[in-house]
Amino acid sequence: MAHTSQLIDGTPSLYLRNEVVRFFPGNVRMLLGRLPAATWSVLEEIRLRATRPLILGSAAGETMLTAEGSTTSDPGSAYRVNEEDVARTVELVTGSSLYAVEDELRQGFVTVSGGHRVGLCGRAVVEGGRVRTLKYLSGVNFRVSREVHGAADQVLPWLLRGTRGIYNTLIISPPRCGKTTLLRDFVRQISDGVPHLGCTGLAVGVVDERSEIAGCYRGIPQRDVGIRTDVLDGCPKAEGMMMLLRALSPEVIATDEIGRREDVEALEEMLNAGVNIVATAHAASVEELRGRPVLRELLGRQIVERFIILEYRHGPGVVRAVVDGRTFQAVGGTPRCSK
Amino acid sequence: MLKVAGAMLVIVAAGALGLTVSQNYARRPRELRALQSALSLLETEIVYAATPLTEALEQVSRRAEPCASGLFARAHTELGSGSGTTAQEAWETALDKYYPDSCLRPEDLTVLQGVGKVLGTSDRQDQTKHLRLAHERLRMLNLKAEDEARQNVRLWRYLGLFAGLATVLILV
Repeated sequence: MAHTSQLIDGTPSLYLRNEVVRFFPGNVRMLLGRLPAATWSVLEEIRLRATRPLILGSAAGETMLTAEGSTTSDPGSAYRVNEEDVARTVELVTGSSLYAVEDELRQGFVTVSGGHRVGLCGRAVVEGGRVRTLKYLSGVNFRVSREVHGAADQVLPWLLRGTRGIYNTLIISPPRCGKTTLLRDFVRQISDGVPHLGCTGLAVGVVDERSEIAGCYRGIPQRDVGIRTDVLDGCPKAEGMMMLLRALSPEVIATDEIGRREDVEALEEMLNAGVNIVATAHAASVEELRGRPVLRELLGRQIVERFIILEYRHGPGVVRAVVDGRTFQAVGGTPRCSK
Repeated sequence: MLKVAGAMLVIVAAGALGLTVSQNYARRPRELRALQSALSLLETEIVYAATPLTEALEQVSRRAEPCASGLFARAHTELGSGSGTTAQEAWETALDKYYPDSCLRPEDLTVLQGVGKVLGTSDRQDQTKHLRLAHERLRMLNLKAEDEARQNVRLWRYLGLFAGLATVLILV
């Protein structure tokens, strides 16, 4: 499956369409199915809110759909999502198994096959001061995940250290800027090897807690993450890193969205074991990282050697800067690859 | 000679008829028991292994007794078809196919339909509660069915045979 999406032009968006519409019930599926390939190639979000219009989000802005499937910007003529649509969508994205996604539901989202993240909204059921689960689900935000080959091309020269290593890298940006997409392509490239930069291919271990990097289905990556990549799917990050380190002797460990104390401790452990790391975190700038206690610690220990800062400008995946982790200056000039 | 053969034929036919009816009485408890253990299997898959429903139904259909596995196999195919059916719809379709070929009664069907209404739509605690309830109801129905079977199986078995004999005697 990973290879199907490598095809160029309209084909990947049609492939993506078929992959995504499966998660929507009859009438919504029909509306989405009628969208042209051009819309699909930029589509980022599909929002369903009970009794309100169906809204599509993309780099070009928001659009709504009429009941006939044409785009509109007038809420009055837009197709209104009913409760049944939402309930059925929830059934489809959870595989009719709410009980199997209890832990995810507590965080407010589930990840479906293909690595797409589906945010859910409803009434929280609180037990002992903590959210136990959500019920009366009434809002769905389907975030389309896409595989972009070459997303990491731009930053790759600054991240490779000689032929057998990478700089410890943290990719930071606000949500929806393409962190995971960049991470995935980076993992793929260093795992396959980058001959023109002298990189021969590294053993990469991915801890994919939310199945978003590799989009595993029954343990097999559905996204192309490279030939030397082991994916530990659905595993808590800190524990997973230790498991990978002991069991699979990776040269690089990659993980998504670090933020808990134990994540940072595990990252440090990896470093002590001589493994390079690459991770992502939510923040708009290095300064913002300092505002978060756990991540400030990460900065303090000077674990990270390269920050990649992404931003959203006319679309996701725009690299604003690559920053050196010691000097906090932007890195530029000649790519350092094969010394 | 011909007469004896004819008489035998009548007796055998009537006996077989009685046996068939009696077997239907015996089949219902068997099916109810099989469904009960299949529901227990499903509960294990859902509550302890948190297996996604499609997979759980497949597992149950493989491990359940033959007279119950058809229902779960069918529900699994329906749910896995990717046509956007909900668990309840898949379960009802499967029941529609399963029920006419079974020896179940309408009251048994009601219990099974109740299972479909909640299947997969709540957290583990709630799923356990509903599945246990359905299990318990099937158990009560089974107790009654077994009583009935005990009385009727023997009754129909002999009734068939004796009706055959009586027919022969009257005709001779």
